[in-house]
Amino acid sequence: MRLPRFEYRKPSTVEECLNLLQEQGTKVRILAGGTDLLVNMKYRVVCPELVLGIKGLKDLSRIVPDDKGYMSIGASVTLSEIAAHKEVAEQFPSFQKAVQSVASKHIRNMGTIGGNICLDTRCWYYNKSKLWRDAREVCHKLGGRQCHAIKGSARCHAINSSDTVPALIALGAKVKIIKKGQERIVSLKDFFQDNGAQPTVLTPDEMISTVLIPKENGKSFTTFMKITMRKGIDFAMGSIAGYLAENGKAEGELRLVIGSISSAPVTLKKTLQVIGEAGLSEASVERAALTARSELGTLTNLFTSAGYKRHLAEVLVKRALDELREMTKKSRRV
Amino acid sequence: MEKKIISLTVNETTYEVAVKPWQTLLDVIRDELGLTGTKRGCGIGTCGVCTVIIDGRAILSCLTLAMECDGRCITTIEGISTAESLHPIQTSFIANGAIQCGYCTPGIIMTSKALLDENPSPCDDEIKEALAGTFCRCTGHIKIMEAVKKASQPARDKES
Repeated sequence: MRLPRFEYRKPSTVEECLNLLQEQGTKVRILAGGTDLLVNMKYRVVCPELVLGIKGLKDLSRIVPDDKGYMSIGASVTLSEIAAHKEVAEQFPSFQKAVQSVASKHIRNMGTIGGNICLDTRCWYYNKSKLWRDAREVCHKLGGRQCHAIKGSARCHAINSSDTVPALIALGAKVKIIKKGQERIVSLKDFFQDNGAQPTVLTPDEMISTVLIPKENGKSFTTFMKITMRKGIDFAMGSIAGYLAENGKAEGELRLVIGSISSAPVTLKKTLQVIGEAGLSEASVERAALTARSELGTLTNLFTSAGYKRHLAEVLVKRALDELREMTKKSRRV
Repeated sequence: MEKKIISLTVNETTYEVAVKPWQTLLDVIRDELGLTGTKRGCGIGTCGVCTVIIDGRAILSCLTLAMECDGRCITTIEGISTAESLHPIQTSFIANGAIQCGYCTPGIIMTSKALLDENPSPCDDEIKEALAGTFCRCTGHIKIMEAVKKASQPARDKES
């Protein structure tokens, strides 16, 4: 497959990049690792007129271990660099595990954290060659008014399959979004909207500059796991990230985020109430896992059936809570 | 947009090539430089046959724009052996029967080289993890694992 034609610019500073975004917004796409964008361009899913290569921008390729209570990671730091970073592994093992589990080593060598967060949503009916897509009516994601995944649906249901995002949300991470002359910090939880056609709150003139992960003062336990068809390359069929502050029971001290089953990562609420009321025990974990099935909203049959997705959520919640419970037990013994 | 002249150092030879923005590194290596050892496979980053090494890391040349490689040093399968002698990984692939049709071999050898350069004595899991992004459709993955392991034997012996 060949790439469509486009113009390529390599801005030498972030300002230059933001100026170009401001001027040409909707016609521009930002290229970092290329492992998602170039694939979509080959499929003619996106055909930008201008591609901005940001890989050389030094301001975006730094990891600062202590930045006012946060660890800050530049958007164009590659996944391999993060996975190999000592302090990431020490302080945020679940995030490191999530990064390490992305696709394959080649892709981690190229792909960046900013790219993984902005990973385009995927759908059977959309991530196809143009010839194939043209056989059907235009869907929401391509500017039409149809959803082929759920007939009659008013929105796009393409799936967000980022692995790092659930792990980051569970850690309470934020992203710094920049545009010409302005910047804003958004909690990653609010960065996603449950709409496959418009998965993030980014406007065409904006880009992510850094990811900020709050550093822990107290002790906490974290977990990440994902289920894939094969261990390498494949996108997750479902993933979960968990966070538990030591002795934590109240809201905010336990977090569970399920990824890869819908258009936005699902931050569980009712499930956590069960644990909040009954504490972490074998029986409450079982009940919490069952509750998880019912708070996932509308699911599609994309990649796996909706029923299987609910089953996966139940299993993942159980496994994640069991792991967190095991961790707390161990730490009490020490 | 017009073509732009970039400088690519491939296997220690520097080339000045005029490239179009939409040409991938793979297109340039194969079609402009005539180095056809690097293969074209899926084109979407799942098969690994187009693997080349840049800055010691295995990357996919089908998903890298040639323009982004201006001034970079690239190693392809042609650059790891000489007319007289093969690279130890290549010798090991031959000795262990890790090749059937051979189409995936350049990619897998470059991936293995990047792994062994970084970690001269990897364990089975590390080899599996590094090779996860490559495919052999003649189903020779066990032999390939063995070949990489045998190629790392000298380093392993040295360590013990």
